Amino acid sequence: MKRTTFGLSLALALPLAFTGAQAQTALDRNQIIESLQGAEAKATISAADLRAQALQNIKQYPGDNATTALPLADQLAKLRQFNIEIVFDFNSDRIRPESYETVGIIADALHTPYLAGQKFFVVGHTDAKGDREYNLKLSQRRAEAVMDALVTTFRVPAERLEAVGLGEEQLRDPSQPDAAVNRRVQLINVGF
Amino acid sequence: MKRTVSTLAIGILVATTCTVGPVRAETIGFAQAIKILADSCGKDIEKHCKNVNLGNNQIQACLQQNEAKISAGCKTDYARVMVLLQARFAAQAAVGQICNRDAQALCQKTKPGSGHILKCLNIAQRSLSPACNQAIIDAGYR
Repeated sequence: MKRTTFGLSLALALPLAFTGAQAQTALDRNQIIESLQGAEAKATISAADLRAQALQNIKQYPGDNATTALPLADQLAKLRQFNIEIVFDFNSDRIRPESYETVGIIADALHTPYLAGQKFFVVGHTDAKGDREYNLKLSQRRAEAVMDALVTTFRVPAERLEAVGLGEEQLRDPSQPDAAVNRRVQLINVGF
Repeated sequence: MKRTVSTLAIGILVATTCTVGPVRAETIGFAQAIKILADSCGKDIEKHCKNVNLGNNQIQACLQQNEAKISAGCKTDYARVMVLLQARFAAQAAVGQICNRDAQALCQKTKPGSGHILKCLNIAQRSLSPACNQAIIDAGYR
């Protein structure tokens, strides 16, 4: 997956964000709140099922890249969600300092009354470079690292979060499987 | 009587924030605080804390262990960031008590839990006591 390119992705993404429409593209807490708030019912998706489906997708449809969407994909797509770029060390779950602020923004959003009491999946995704099973495991560890920072350093209640790694099984842009846009952490509101 | 309690609570909050932190009573958000750590200590973190992650305050602990080697700016700032995070946690913990009277007066019919009372207090922003209003701001709840 992001062998050397992962660290680069932020270097590339940030200048783009700032040369574009400044006020609109810089991530802020309220963007996250607006995208995630208002879930009405509890979603019936379990994190364990989702993880199992990603692994099953690799076993059942082997090959260099995933060709089939996960059975739960449609259901997931209906939930309130937000995509965030967090940069990690190469082949590692270590969050790079340039992404600390981003994790802090997530924490700020989750602490507000507008998202209080709601539960979220923290979902890690990679691009399609490299081995699918390796990517699956790495994305799980990365999702856990983000969740861990939120729960400990920023004291978001642990029972509100679950970490799920989907590797390269749910690309954001399947037409460009190796593109940076696929590397992301997704917050999904799974209700109360 | 209740008035005395909330005034007291604020007094305590202000006092705590002042004794542990920089002179100002207001707090800053988690993102803003942790950005200070990344900006001021980024290089030191990459040099001395390559094997620890952001969770569990491991970065701050690592910087403390390596205090002799880190830059002067980072030394000042990592401790300050810890204080800033603590101040925000304390501000969040204090809201319930400081705003109790406001909640009883303004959000009587609101079902507690899941941020409902705080959302109600935010809607009633103009009727809030100054203390409760400030507590909500300091907690980052608006």
